[in-house]
Amino acid sequence: MAPYIQARDITLTFKPKNRDPVTALSGFNLDLGKGEFLSLVGPSGCGKSTFLNVLLGLLRPDRGDLQLNGKKITGPGQERAMVFQEFGLLPWRTVVANVELGLELKGVPAAMRHERAMELIRLVGLTGFEQHYPHELSGGMKQRVGLARALATEPEVLLMDEPFAALDAQTRDLMQAELLQIWERTKKTVLFVTHSIEEAAYLSDRVVVMTARPGRTKNILHVNLPRPRDYEMRLSPEFNEIKAEIWGDLKDELMAKHTNGA
Amino acid sequence: MALREKYDEYQRPILGTISVIGFFLLWEWVATYVITVNPFFFTQPSKIAVAAKGLLFGGELWKDLAVSSKAFVWGFSLAVIIGIPIGVFMGWRRRAEYTLDPFFTALYASPLVALAPLLIIIFGVGLTGKAALIFLLAVFPFIFNAFAGVKSTDRLLVNVVRAFGGREKDIYFKVILPSILPYMVAGTRIAIGRGIVGIIVGEFYAASEGIGFAISRFGDTYRLPEMFAAILVLMTVAVVFTEGLRKLENIVAPWKAGQEAR
Repeated sequence: MAPYIQARDITLTFKPKNRDPVTALSGFNLDLGKGEFLSLVGPSGCGKSTFLNVLLGLLRPDRGDLQLNGKKITGPGQERAMVFQEFGLLPWRTVVANVELGLELKGVPAAMRHERAMELIRLVGLTGFEQHYPHELSGGMKQRVGLARALATEPEVLLMDEPFAALDAQTRDLMQAELLQIWERTKKTVLFVTHSIEEAAYLSDRVVVMTARPGRTKNILHVNLPRPRDYEMRLSPEFNEIKAEIWGDLKDELMAKHTNGA
Repeated sequence: MALREKYDEYQRPILGTISVIGFFLLWEWVATYVITVNPFFFTQPSKIAVAAKGLLFGGELWKDLAVSSKAFVWGFSLAVIIGIPIGVFMGWRRRAEYTLDPFFTALYASPLVALAPLLIIIFGVGLTGKAALIFLLAVFPFIFNAFAGVKSTDRLLVNVVRAFGGREKDIYFKVILPSILPYMVAGTRIAIGRGIVGIIVGEFYAASEGIGFAISRFGDTYRLPEMFAAILVLMTVAVVFTEGLRKLENIVAPWKAGQEAR
């Protein structure tokens, strides 16, 4: 059976004006099963966010084949939604209006999208903040809005681009736990990009370690820890073994990046 | 103690009021006891107040204000209707920016009132000539603020709307227009000041009515109290508008109050 998401030989070179071209991805392959939680980790600049944007349909690869459920991805689509690192909330919209954005662009009638938005606001624990503006919210709350907005369009695939990187450590821990709960309830396919080994190990079914630029798959690790996972699990020796394994793969790439003077 | 707290709360308006009243008292005192010279060349607040009362209740000034306002509304509306689309276009299309920028920058920087005689030759002494001058002075803040507004539009938000399936039209209405709104309010504030200069200069050059004409006529006939009264009325109008717009800025864009382009 073909995997739910299948990326083959994805290659993308950025050609900025007045600067040397940068090959972000080179022959990158990835398979993702339906309902799977997969994390991409790698040195910064290795193309993990680029791949996410290719999958989202905002960037076109120079070469390669990208399929979702057997269909070629050519642009943005409703079966995919992104949670952005810097939240990407419209500052002139209230929480509920921000959550409604995707539905609005889909052409869902006002009453229906409002109802759906309220439901998701409840799901992410923001009840009571519907009429607040983003600048009145903390970072964690903003990302809850980002998550609710992504879930509102009922995508099959949730793409998350270092969604908790801008949050403080405690908020981050809390958001990770809540994301897991939501994921277990909604059974979305999640592709999660992160810098944090701990985050990747805690959340994922599989962790893909990428090489330094241009990004390729270095290794794929299975996280065979039982679910549901709780915070205490992070203290177990098994968890630390997985972290050590990821670190072992990542270390060389960080070194390579360092010696390349990047 | 309570009085002290009240004072701290209202320190700004209290000190502001005291300083304005103090200024007029000082003026009155200097004009009465220190510079007791020819009333042809100098006047004092008490006489201005009497003159202002006469002008405001005599109805004379209202007619002049109405005439000037008409020219202002015409010139200003044209500046909005023409300036904003040009600015947005320049901000959105790089070629348009490169082509038009030298002209607009030169024109914005130069003392356009110098063109007043020319405009009056072309458009005549009446409403059209004045409106043309007001337009010419007021249009550039709209162009440059719309331009700066588009330029400062957050690329992330454009990508967010694209990612959720938005088209060009959605990017335009859901991202660009709301982004430039605070810039437009700031631009309006600058344009009002420049437009008022346009009225006054236009009416100084050639007019038989209007507030600028009134000021110039009072000056020519050495009716200094009336002249100052007319100037004070004009100042009041300008202050009311610009301060009102500052408030409006906080209302339309509470997330970034006080943005200004040029």
